[in-house]
Amino acid sequence: MSKAIIRVENLNLTYKTLHAVQDVSFSVKSGEILAVIGQNGSGKTSTVECIEGLRKPDSGLIQVFGKNPWLHRREVYKEMGVQLQEAEYPLKIRVEEQCRLFASFYERPADWNLLLAQMGLDEKRKCLVHKLSGGEKQRLSVLLSLMGRPKLLILDELTTGLDPEVRQNMWISFENIRKGGVAIIMVSHYLDEVEALADKILYLEKGKQQFFGTQQGFREYVKGRISKEEWEENFSLEKLYLMLAPKTTGLSMEGIL
Amino acid sequence: MKGFAVICKMELRLFTRDFFGVFFALVFPVLMLLLFGGIYGNTPIYDGADVRIMDISVPAYAVMVTGVTGLMSLPLTLSGYKEKKIYKRFDATPVGKKSIMLAQVFANFIMTLVGILILLIAGKLLYQIQIKGNFLSIGVSTLFSIAAMFSMGFLFTAIGRDLKSTTLLCYLFYFVMLFLSGATMPDMLFPDTIKRISDFLPMTYAVDLMQGVFAGDSLDQYGVELLILGGVTVVCTALGAALYRKKDWT
Repeated sequence: MSKAIIRVENLNLTYKTLHAVQDVSFSVKSGEILAVIGQNGSGKTSTVECIEGLRKPDSGLIQVFGKNPWLHRREVYKEMGVQLQEAEYPLKIRVEEQCRLFASFYERPADWNLLLAQMGLDEKRKCLVHKLSGGEKQRLSVLLSLMGRPKLLILDELTTGLDPEVRQNMWISFENIRKGGVAIIMVSHYLDEVEALADKILYLEKGKQQFFGTQQGFREYVKGRISKEEWEENFSLEKLYLMLAPKTTGLSMEGIL
Repeated sequence: MKGFAVICKMELRLFTRDFFGVFFALVFPVLMLLLFGGIYGNTPIYDGADVRIMDISVPAYAVMVTGVTGLMSLPLTLSGYKEKKIYKRFDATPVGKKSIMLAQVFANFIMTLVGILILLIAGKLLYQIQIKGNFLSIGVSTLFSIAAMFSMGFLFTAIGRDLKSTTLLCYLFYFVMLFLSGATMPDMLFPDTIKRISDFLPMTYAVDLMQGVFAGDSLDQYGVELLILGGVTVVCTALGAALYRKKDWT
């Protein structure tokens, strides 16, 4: 039984009057993929930013490799790679310069030349980073998160902006990385991705933890929250998730015409 | 340490790719030298004086270079990096945001020295300026001037809510100080009211100090100027650091 790499207990975070994260508890072991799901504003990014040591929680326990990431950020980052939801790079920096720069932060950096080729960015190495397309920037962000050969990888909206082919390729890549014993936390709105990759799910609603457990457990959880008439055994994860979401009718034509 | 050295090298390289930064730090002061040299010539500052106009203009323009890097390049880069969440990205690595902030200070410091050097070479070649002060006095004065300007820029970045407000604050102070401190035109030409305003500007003391040591005066004669510039550095850095701690970096 492998030891938990991340341990979170009763995590709370407030922004002025907004209680963004309320009593969230979970753990992640090595070689495990945890998907954090929930609507926009449900506290997914706030939760992972506490784990990343970028936000100081109001209360609760967070241990990453047995250390408090807020107090021991540098040590934790030697073994943790992060892809942020939104991150820019200096305006006039080139792709290969950005890679070389990040490689210099680690004692034993990954072979970024190889990663550039694998990410399909080899021909872009001389390009300015800000001239890359959205998908290319996203791939670069993922590459940089791998630079320190991490044992824990946190990916916030990993495949946003990527075309289906590249997304599939990413899934295979992260499945391989997981097999190497790396723990992964992924924040995602793509439920097909979560279904394909995640061992466990953390489901948040308005900052509150609604569910933490396996995919099968999530299925049981949803089954318990809806009527028997609505339930079908072969529901996809996306369908299950939508069963929980508040029903919307979309825009009415009245306001447009 | 290896990471920090690479960041410094990279920031220096990025500075050289910024046309406006390079132009205002390295080229503009020389253009000012040519412009005012063309207007006033290089005559003695008063009849029979040993010191000529360009002898006092070059150290004043050197202070202008410290203003360009300290009040424009450095704070606007810091503010831009914060706004674009570039610091946040660096915080999510083992080096952290402090390393990149220090690297920007380093890059701007080097560019300031290069700018001053180019100015001195141009002054020597074009107007045969006289530098009577010793290396140590000029070095110490330059460091005090740079420290004061950089710390003010740092404070403005901490005060400004975003790049736009920081730019406004920096430009306002830079141009007020540029024209009222004696950095572009000799303060002996100012009416009394303007002189009273210029007494409140840190750049005025930097200009007086630099002009004095370039003319061969001892540092002992400039205790007040050194004290004021040192005080500005300590207060602005401490205040800036305190305000920075309160900022939301995420």
